[in-house]
This record gives sequence, C-alpha cells and structure tokens, in this order.
Amino acid sequence: MEESKNGFAGNILHLNLTTLDYEVIPTKKYEEWGGGNGLGTALFWDYCQDKTITDGRNAENVIVIATSPLNGTSTPSAGGRCELVGVGCGHYPIGWFTRSNIGGRFSSHMKFAGWDAVVISGKAPYPVWVEVENGKVVYHDAGSLWGENARKTQLRILSALDKGNNGWGWQPLPGKKDETSYTTQKPAVLCIGPAGEKQSTHAALVHDAGSTSAQGGFAAVFGAKNLKAISFLGTGSIDIHDPKKLVSARFRVKERYGVKVDDPTTDMQSWWGWLSRPGTLSFAGTVSDHYRIQACAGCIMGCRTRFDVGYGNETKCQATSWYAHFALHYYKGDKKKMSEVALKLADYCNDIGINTYTFAKSVHWLERLWHKGLLGKGKTIHTDLNFDELGSEKFGFEFVDAFAYRKDIGEFFADGFVQGAIKAGLESEWKEGHLDYCYWGVPSHGYDARAEVEWGYASILTDRDVNSHDFNAMFWAVTLATMRGLPYQIEAHEIAKLITDKLKPYVDTTNAINYADDNIYSDDVMNLTRWYIHYNRFWKNTALFCDLRWADLFDSSNPGNIGATADPEVGEQVYWNAVTGEGISFVDGLSRGHRIFVLQNAIWALQGRHRDMVYMADYIYDKKAEHSEFPFFMWPTKDENGTWRYTDLMHRKLDRAQFDDFKTRFYKAEGLDPETGWPTSETLDKLGLGFVKEELKQHGKLA
Amino acid sequence: MQTPEIKSSECEEPKYGGMDRRTFLKTLAAAGIAATGGAAFMLPGTNLMVMPNSKGYLVVDMAKCMGCVTCMMTCSMVHEGESSLSLSRIQIQQSSFQNFPNDIHMAICHQCEDAPCVNACPVEADHVDVLFGNVRSIDPDRCIGCTQCIDACPWLPKRLQFNPKTKKVQKCDLCANTPYLDEKGGPGGTQSCVKVCPTNAIAYVEKMPKQDDPYAYNVNLRGEGWTHIGMSDEDYKLEG
Repeated sequence: MEESKNGFAGNILHLNLTTLDYEVIPTKKYEEWGGGNGLGTALFWDYCQDKTITDGRNAENVIVIATSPLNGTSTPSAGGRCELVGVGCGHYPIGWFTRSNIGGRFSSHMKFAGWDAVVISGKAPYPVWVEVENGKVVYHDAGSLWGENARKTQLRILSALDKGNNGWGWQPLPGKKDETSYTTQKPAVLCIGPAGEKQSTHAALVHDAGSTSAQGGFAAVFGAKNLKAISFLGTGSIDIHDPKKLVSARFRVKERYGVKVDDPTTDMQSWWGWLSRPGTLSFAGTVSDHYRIQACAGCIMGCRTRFDVGYGNETKCQATSWYAHFALHYYKGDKKKMSEVALKLADYCNDIGINTYTFAKSVHWLERLWHKGLLGKGKTIHTDLNFDELGSEKFGFEFVDAFAYRKDIGEFFADGFVQGAIKAGLESEWKEGHLDYCYWGVPSHGYDARAEVEWGYASILTDRDVNSHDFNAMFWAVTLATMRGLPYQIEAHEIAKLITDKLKPYVDTTNAINYADDNIYSDDVMNLTRWYIHYNRFWKNTALFCDLRWADLFDSSNPGNIGATADPEVGEQVYWNAVTGEGISFVDGLSRGHRIFVLQNAIWALQGRHRDMVYMADYIYDKKAEHSEFPFFMWPTKDENGTWRYTDLMHRKLDRAQFDDFKTRFYKAEGLDPETGWPTSETLDKLGLGFVKEELKQHGKLA
Repeated sequence: MQTPEIKSSECEEPKYGGMDRRTFLKTLAAAGIAATGGAAFMLPGTNLMVMPNSKGYLVVDMAKCMGCVTCMMTCSMVHEGESSLSLSRIQIQQSSFQNFPNDIHMAICHQCEDAPCVNACPVEADHVDVLFGNVRSIDPDRCIGCTQCIDACPWLPKRLQFNPKTKKVQKCDLCANTPYLDEKGGPGGTQSCVKVCPTNAIAYVEKMPKQDDPYAYNVNLRGEGWTHIGMSDEDYKLEG
C-alpha cells in the first residue's frame, strides 16, 4: 500500500528512561490530533498513568516533544517550530499540564530523521543523553556532560557526532533499509544546563545558540528525569500532498507580505502586521553594525541576530531587555555599554540555560525588597549579592549564576517567585502587585492584563502566560507610531473591522475589538477570547505557525491592510491542506483547537482545577495599573457616540464579579460545566472525547 | 544498497587529458552520434574539451542569508515533490555558535566553464543541456550512480548529491527539470531558490562569474533598503 503523503514522518519515538529502552509508535493512530499541542496532549493522555500529579518533576510525569506536518516544509514561519507538553513546574498553586514552544532546526531534523514526536517517560538511573540519527536511537552516558552549560554540551555532542570530512563534505548516515544517505547539516541538539540538572523552575531548555523553551519548567523536568540532551539528525524527506500548491503559495506570500528588504522605503518600525515585520528583535539595540538576521527553518523573515563580536547570537525579545534598564541606569545613560551588557547577559543566560522571562518582573521586586531592608545579609530573605551594584556587568553575571547553580536567592526562589514570597511571609507583596505575577504564579508579560484583557483572560483560562501576540499586534503598531509621532496607518475603526472580519463566525460585530471599560466583559469579547484560545490550540500550537508572525490579522503591506490569516490564497489552511491533503477550512482548524482545549480541561480537572481557582492575582482586581515599562497602553475603544479612537488604558483595574460572570458564560459556550469548569459528559461525547470519561468519573470529576 | 565508495578524484587526471573513453563519447555526442543531447566536444587536433558556457548562473550573498533553508526545502520540492535537505541542490550550512559572517555558508553549483563533473561522467549522463541554456545537468535515465562526478567536483561540500532512493546523482539544473514547479524553469525561467528566498540572497545572472576567483560567486546583493533596516552593506569576502 502506498504510504500517505500528508506531511507526517510516520513514527513516534517513546523513550522509556527507566529501562533505557525505546519503542516505535506508528503515528497513524494519532494523526487526527494534527501535531504539536494536540498530538502531545493525546499522547500524554495515553502514556501518563497518573494524571493527578501536580509537579512535573515527579517521575510519573510524561513529557512530549511534538512536531507538526508543516515542520520541515517551506510553510512560512511554521517549518521550524516545535511544541512541548506535559506537567510543568513553577506555576502556583499547581504545576499544571502545560505547554512550551521552541524554534530553530530541532523539529525539522526530528522530522527528517523520521519522527513526528518523542514521548519521554520514567527516570533514567543515571544521567543520559540520546542520539537519534534517522532510525538509529542510542542512549549515551551523560556523566561527563553533567555540570556543563548548554553551549558546551551542544558543542561536545556535535564534536562527538562529527564523522569528519569524508572527501565530499557530506556526512554519511544510516538510511532506510541498508541504504546510506548523506547530509551537510549539523545535528540539532536540545539540552539543559546546570539549572535544569538542579531542577530549578527557572531553567531553560536550549537548542543552538538562542532557541529556548523555558515557560512551563520543562528543563527542570529533563533534570528530574536525568536527561541531559536529545540530538536529532535526519536525511529523510517529508512527503507533501500537493507540492505545487505549497510552492506556489509560498511564492505568493512573499510577493504579498514579504518584507521588501531592498526597498529604500522599508522602515524598521513602521510596519502594521506581523508577517511584514522586518529585522532584529533585540530590545537593547545592537552591538555592531555587522550582523545578520537569522531565522528558524522555513521562516519568512528572521527575528534574531548573529553578530561579529562573539556574543549575543540569536538573542532577542525580553532576553535582551530584562537587564537593559538597570544597566542603562548603572552606566549613567551610556547606551553603547547598556547594549553590550544586556546582550552579553542574554548570551550568558542562553549559554547556561536560564529562563530570562521570570526575571523580567522579579528583579524590580528584588530591588524593592533590598531598599526596604527585606533582602540582604541576614534579612528576611538572605543574600550575599550586593543589589547596590544592580546594573553592573559583574552583578548581572553573579545574579544569573545564583539561579543557574541554585545558590543564594537562586535556591530560595528555585520553585518560583510567588512560592518564595509566600515562604518568606511576604505574600502581600504579591497580592498588592509589587511582585507582578498575575496568573498561575507566572509573570505578567508586560502588556498588563487590565489593559490587554484578552491576554489575561486566555492566560488564566488556560495554564500559563498565553504568550500569544495575535491581537497584541495592535498594541505594538499603535505604540511605536505614537512614540515616533507618526500617523496611524490604520485608524481604530478600520482595525476593528479588519480584525473582526477574521474572527467569523465567532464574532459578528466590531464591538469585539472595543477595549473600553464597559465592553471588556461582553459576549463579544468572550467570543474573541474563545477564538484566541482555539486559534492558539490548533493553528499556532498544533500546526505550529510561529507566534511572532501569525496570526496576521491586519497588514499594511497588503492592499486594504488585509492580513494573511485565513486568506484563501496564503492563509494558514492553504499550507495545511497543501501538505496534508485534508481540505479543511480555517474555521475547521479552530474547532479542532476547541477539542484539544476541552481535552486539556479534563487533565486540569484531574490535577485539581475548579473554577473557583480560576482568578488572576488580587491586585488585578484591587489596584489600577499605574506604571509599566511601556509609557502607555493604547487600544481601540468606542465611546457612547460610536466614535472609535486609540485610548490609553493604563489606569484600569478589572472587576471581580463581572469577570466571574464572564467566566460562567465562557464555560457554557465551551461546553464546560459552569459550576466547576470541568468538561461535561455531553461535550465529551460530542467532540469524540468519550474515552476520557471513565477516568474522570473514577476521580469524581465528570460533570 | 552498496555504500558508494569514496574514490580518488578524477580531478587528479590532467584537466585536458588524452582521448580516453569519456572524451571519445563526448566527442561522439558533439557530433550527434550519441543520443545524449550533450554539446561538449573535443577541439580537433588538441586535447581540449570544449563545452559551451551555461547561459545562466546562481550567485549568492552569504551576508544576507538568514539560514532559514527555505531555498533547500523548495528546491527539493520542485524537483522531487518532497521536502528534504539532503535532496536539495543548494546547500546552506550554518553554525549558530560561529560569528557573523562565517556562521553561514551557501553552497551552489557553479555551472563551471569546464565542468569537471561533465568531464568525469563515464556514460554521458552529466551533460551540457542545449535545450535548457547549456546548463550542466544529469540525465537520470542514463546515470549509473557511480558518483565519479561527485568526486570530480572541485568544491566542498560537493555540489552534486547522491540520492539514496534512486541510487543516482543529481545536481542543480537551474530548475530546468522541475515537475512540481507550476511555471517554466531553467535559464530564462524561474529559479525556485531565487524566487522563494525571503531576503533575496540568491540571484540569477547571465554573466559568468570569474572562474579563477574562488570568491566570485559570493556577491553583494543588498539593495538600498538593507541599510534602512539597520544592516551593513559592506562587502564580505567569502569563498563560494
């Protein structure tokens, strides 16, 4: 029988670390889940025997690293993403079943090696790393790598796997049957540094110089499982249902949305829309004029940089910004020095395997404790670090080392900052918002859930900071234009129309984009939130379209400012169908996202979730947002006369009772029991999830 | 399948050696005696193999490449109908731990003036395709998978690929033979890698790059807009 040409590699690798053995699972059984988040959740359900565990470091935990049919293809900004799921750690009060995502080359090489996903269960009797070359799977003793940072770990593995120049500059690999196949590529390694080994929740999984998976705490899970690294190298092919269509759509998306890199009118900061955003995403400037934009596999425009100076490679976003403010202050406004220190430190965090996201909102708080006399030698929280030197290069490295090696405050806060605050008797610091960790014990993303409400809603209604910039594209476009004194390329009423056109049939009125105080608990915003979660669960986290390029809800590079999302020529479903041959609509994908979300609610119910727990931190309801790293939060609003404008929503708090009512309507719309938030038997049957009912019933969680 | 043996390179022979079997075949081909479509011939009274220049060439800008390997996956798709790095006729190699600009190398076929791979082929599979602008091309129906053409390629990594499924060798044909490309390829037509590259780091040119200059295929393709997004337009001397 001819193998189906649908983008799947065909097999799933199950690593049983306890026995240091592996099994091959045919993907066929799981193809209905798509890939990534959906595939990973389904595999978790089948392979994790005890779903009541609440800390991912438990040896019973199972984590899944999953690709999608689009990985290893030229689908724009979807070819190189990779999803991780499993029970995480570092959340509060419960380490939820959660997800994370990583870019680079890892997923494409997993696919080229013939694997759609890796299921990791058990705990190795000693530290190991796993080598996968096509169908060859080998456990290696990682004793000599244990203690190494992520960069050295990767370099040593690359060296160990380098078979030398065979005269062709192509490495021979074992292929299918007795064939030998060849590659010019380096293995793609995913590994942990010392923080992961020491099971700190602040650890990050690292691949290449700057691709990290940090939210969710899966690096600590790797450490708990004695798993130092996994390496993939493949020489195989991804079978495409309709390669002509895929190639044509990729040509077309470049024409319509690609950055015109050689056009002198192209401006680094004047784009409106994600697909057409050009260049580097360093938030601390650049340290040299000599660098390249660097991209994950298949990306339409890279967002990272590689410099000529020996540091800062592939750093971006808040990894480059979390220390920049302190450095700028310490070095008295010297921007060049600020860039140098911020990028050196970002580089070091990637090298050593540390999650900088948790620092973005905690260092300010630690500084506050220092000045209040609550942090210091012999204080409520002891530290030998001298916070008077905060901002200096030396202090920055000492601070990161404390967390990387789990010493000093890195030990005190190893399970999380909220957990540490409570342990120190400083819970009020969190509840009052001085520690800006607003959902599930993880930091605010900086956009503030009181202003950008859909971000906060989706975070608390799922499992972590949602970190999904779909509607946030409005914030960035308006903010940059406002700061630079530029006219708004798309006015508020037009952007509301453009976006809501993309949200059908969930939303049929522009009112969904009205962020005014009197509208943020409306059914329209509730349905926008549902779209947001479903889009994430399928198109972004299952099909694995990159968050920093998709959804493209509006785009100034295209006539009419119409974004690429759901477009009949270049929308997400076009690539999915060209690769898989399924012929689904964009909305069909959203429905799949709903199904995945309901299955995850079943897992959360087993872990102990009840709707009464689903609240953001107290300060979100009790205090108005007063300041931020951003000067304002500009969002579209409509007043009582029907006039649209961009309005600064900085000074706002949420209403507890109205959010509670919002939640009730949300649960009903999702087919979840409004009394508990658990999936109902009827919904499970309707979505083809009847297989979870028995386990829910056994635990008294079937609504 | 037997692993292709890494043989001593045919390049060790004098470039314009005596009339051996291959040269004889090529001469016949030039005279229209062999049905290869080849256009190479031996200059009468000399040992010189003469083949018409390709009417097109790929050049690259290694400082502009993002390392997204979209060109590789597209190349494989338009030729084979499947996405693969190993089957791509263009090879992008990178190390994220290296510093710019040495972190990326773009390996393209040079469509050499005196193509050693054409010279090396014992069965006239690797030939000058007169129907497609004299591009150096491999006829899969004639290729016996001996890999002598790969050995003969003077560049590293070798610019020809051994396909383990078909057990034949393939090389860049400037998209002349692309069953999965919905437009005309080859010289004068579309080159998929050029068209798909997000940063326009690959270009098709008609003028032959200098053959004695190892840096000639790496050129500056950065337009004025490149500096507007904060990038350098400096020339970087990198061997292609």
